[in-house]
Amino acid sequence: MFKIIRKADIVLFIVLLAFGFAMLFFTIRAASSPGEQVVINVDGNEYGRYPLDQDNVIEIHNGDRHNTVTIKDGGVFMSYSTCENQICVHEGVVTTPGQLIVCLPNYVIVEIEGGEDSDEALDAIAQ
Amino acid sequence: MKHSTPSPSDRSGWSPRRITLSAMLAALALIFSYIEVIFPFYTGIPGVKLGLANLVVVVALYKMSPSYAVTINVVRVLMAGLLFTGLFGMLYSLAGSICSFLIMYLCWRSGLFSVLGVSLAGGVFHNLGQLAVAAFAVSSARIFLYFPVLIFSGMAAGIIVGIGSHVLISHLPDQIFRRY
Repeated sequence: MFKIIRKADIVLFIVLLAFGFAMLFFTIRAASSPGEQVVINVDGNEYGRYPLDQDNVIEIHNGDRHNTVTIKDGGVFMSYSTCENQICVHEGVVTTPGQLIVCLPNYVIVEIEGGEDSDEALDAIAQ
Repeated sequence: MKHSTPSPSDRSGWSPRRITLSAMLAALALIFSYIEVIFPFYTGIPGVKLGLANLVVVVALYKMSPSYAVTINVVRVLMAGLLFTGLFGMLYSLAGSICSFLIMYLCWRSGLFSVLGVSLAGGVFHNLGQLAVAAFAVSSARIFLYFPVLIFSGMAAGIIVGIGSHVLISHLPDQIFRRY
């Protein structure tokens, strides 16, 4: 049985195996990349992106307007704002993708963007 | 390139005898597809299966000619699509089969590979062809997370089918496949 195996077969086997492991390594890294991100927009332009799972304090200075966004324990909130109505500060903590904190007077929008929902894509095929 | 097959003039060309044989082989391949439908070789991973029908295709490739093999395969996929898997399943399966057949044909034609290598390549490319359709249908690059699983399962299936094909090719008498 084994004497029918040729050199090219073994080369093909090793190449496919190596390719498989390379893809495995690559996909495991891709799958474990950070999912949810905090996106801050100032004056309609993207100001920055920050991972939701790392505590962070972001100071935003825009002319004489000043906002402070705090990321803590997987949630994000506006901890300080120079605006008059303080709606953004009273908004409290948001934690889930799609939720927003808007400070209209200062033109600051804080949004949580979800990582791509990989489970959904896989389930579509699994059915 | 050395194959234990009828002489080259005998390999191609249609004859009533060979048309009948192809029809029987297509029916056999269809039965193999059906066996996999009723006894799913369940591994816990969707889309992973043995591909017994490829046994018939590989034997036809070696014992008859590529045109017979591809015809048998396409007939098998169309019939299985109409009978068991439905239209989407048919497209899915057709993409896998065509991809698999092309690579098997090239490997066979190169003369470098044994049946095992040919079947191994076929198994992997069958899965990659299906994955391409799936990625297109779901339109999400995330589907490629599935890539490694399909490569390894395609390799395993290809080797098993390759061993089976080798046994069949070396034991089936050439007489069965002769033109007249």
